Amino acid sequence: MSQTFDKISSIVFFIIGILFVVQATQISDSAYGSTVGPKTFPLGLGIILVLLSLRLLYETWRQAVKARLAKGPQSPSKTFSIEIKKFLILFISAIAYVFFLEIVGYVITTFIFLLIGFQTMERGKVLFSVIISAAFSIGIYYLFSVILGGSLPSFPTF
Amino acid sequence: MSTLQFLADGFAVAFQWQNLLFAFVGVIIGTAVGVLPGIGPMSGVALLIPVTATLTSGLPTEAAAASSIILLAGVYYGAMYGGSTTSILLNTPGESSSVVTTLDGYQMAKQGRAGSALSIAAIGSFCAGIIALLGLVLLAKPLSSVALKFGPAEYFSLMLLGLAAVSGLAGRSITKALIMTVLGLMLGTVGIDAVSGIERFTFGQPMLFSGIEFLTIAVGLFALGEVFKTILEKSDDDGQIAKINRILPTKQDLKDSAVPIARGSFLGFFIGVLPGAGATLASFFSYITEKKFSKTPEKFGKGHIAGVAGPESANNAASGGAMIPLLTLGIPGSGTTAILMGALIMYNIQPGPLLFDEHPEVAWGLIASMFIGNLMLLVLNMPLVRIFAKVIETPKKYLLPIIIAISFFGVYAVQYTTFDLYLLLACGLLGYLFAKNDYPVAPLVLALVLGPMIENNMRRALTISNGDFSIFMTKPLSLLFLIVAVSWLLIPLFMKMRGKNVIINEEE
Repeated sequence: MSQTFDKISSIVFFIIGILFVVQATQISDSAYGSTVGPKTFPLGLGIILVLLSLRLLYETWRQAVKARLAKGPQSPSKTFSIEIKKFLILFISAIAYVFFLEIVGYVITTFIFLLIGFQTMERGKVLFSVIISAAFSIGIYYLFSVILGGSLPSFPTF
Repeated sequence: MSTLQFLADGFAVAFQWQNLLFAFVGVIIGTAVGVLPGIGPMSGVALLIPVTATLTSGLPTEAAAASSIILLAGVYYGAMYGGSTTSILLNTPGESSSVVTTLDGYQMAKQGRAGSALSIAAIGSFCAGIIALLGLVLLAKPLSSVALKFGPAEYFSLMLLGLAAVSGLAGRSITKALIMTVLGLMLGTVGIDAVSGIERFTFGQPMLFSGIEFLTIAVGLFALGEVFKTILEKSDDDGQIAKINRILPTKQDLKDSAVPIARGSFLGFFIGVLPGAGATLASFFSYITEKKFSKTPEKFGKGHIAGVAGPESANNAASGGAMIPLLTLGIPGSGTTAILMGALIMYNIQPGPLLFDEHPEVAWGLIASMFIGNLMLLVLNMPLVRIFAKVIETPKKYLLPIIIAISFFGVYAVQYTTFDLYLLLACGLLGYLFAKNDYPVAPLVLALVLGPMIENNMRRALTISNGDFSIFMTKPLSLLFLIVAVSWLLIPLFMKMRGKNVIINEEE
């Protein structure tokens, strides 16, 4: 559990809460004959979030103090070999996938995304990866669009 | 019509060929979901909603809703079956609800009794499923007729109780759980207000007018969050899979596990009915109970069959019990049931007391299909356990990119916008960060589903009382619900202050 994350997130939640309250007060009143309009509920939520984020900040601060008082060696951070590189490649190719989905069509983008995905996770066996990606992208497209009559961006129109 | 008559009609629905097929596919996928470590019942159900939506698109709404909820519920309880397989064979629980099963199950597998452990788990799950269903049948009518007398004030308080219960048990820090709940409620307010038609928090973006789709959030937070976690944190779980010798349990095993199964089933059922306490808690309680009642408590942890039979029955019974508040009150008690509820709402079917009157086909069809599904699971699991054990070996390098592709396809097929796909990716990232830092995501999804209903009931109640908030206190039932809700949050706090350990429900 990282205390920096808690600290940052409590501040972020605090800001979200404030913004929510500000935005909620700007919601126009309805003509609907009730004293409780569309404002009340979001306004209350914003206030609760602000209070909760303050409480979280306090809790995090108290934990930090406690940890300092204990003066024990910093708790050994779990040794996960964090694979940022793999993750970034996959995440960025996922964004590219979304971006090109409606331009190039479902089959081609899915095929390329899966191929990149498989090869990033583990290099080698290219032929196998190609077969699985092709089977998946064409299979889903065929099943969904042709048999079930759904609509997916098919192939590039140019 | 009597309950029996309704049940018979339910079986008529469940025995339609397409519904039999849906139940079958559901339990198979559910078992696979349970076996695969990267994907839990919640993400499994969330991923399949869009798929079922397209599969059933040709049917009339009510029949489509019945068919798809039959499939989705099948995934839910199928996962409870499958979760035990990895616990026993690999010592890695496929679901959080089968964590305790590893204690004795893996020991049994080491002693060459993997087959007995697996089949006892399957038999226990089956008995528990049936007991939970009998409870559901008996309680459904009376509970929903009580719930029909509720006014908006009572509903508001009851839903707050549901949220409080889930938040109170959801994680290590109640503050964090409450923050997630409030965030979920906030997300629920985005879009055009149903009562007044005024747009809120849309910033003029037409994409946001209809609100933030719960499906996108659920798939992102759970399925993608889980995938990102598996990619980022390489774990070395390539353990040896234990061999399965004989599948049928011995007579002695059956005798030893009969009582734990019965006890686990009842315990699990009642824990499942309680909001917030789900299958994980049920299995823990059952293990502790069995150890307490056993004449040979020292045998636990060394491959005692009761340590498998009890918890495995309990977690299955709990998943059946959790359907009761969902179907009769319209209030999901856990993350997975919240997703099931979201699926029903997508078909314009409102779970709750009126469900049994307005859509008996859906409610009783589901109940009847759960009987059939449980039977299918038992029949399938005994001979096919070896095949399911093979599923564990699916290499992650293929599994993870495919899960991403399926979630993209699923969300796009329902929403038709790339905006939701970007949102999905963002939610995946958030889901990973939240889960890593002990922010439970289940309360968020639950709050997102319940949010609009809470607000509407609150406003309705306040319209009746002319804006006087004391209406929630003066109605006796509403007051009772509020008191229970508050104490649900405060009691664990007091217990923590007194230095006691509080069991928390780290269920997905």
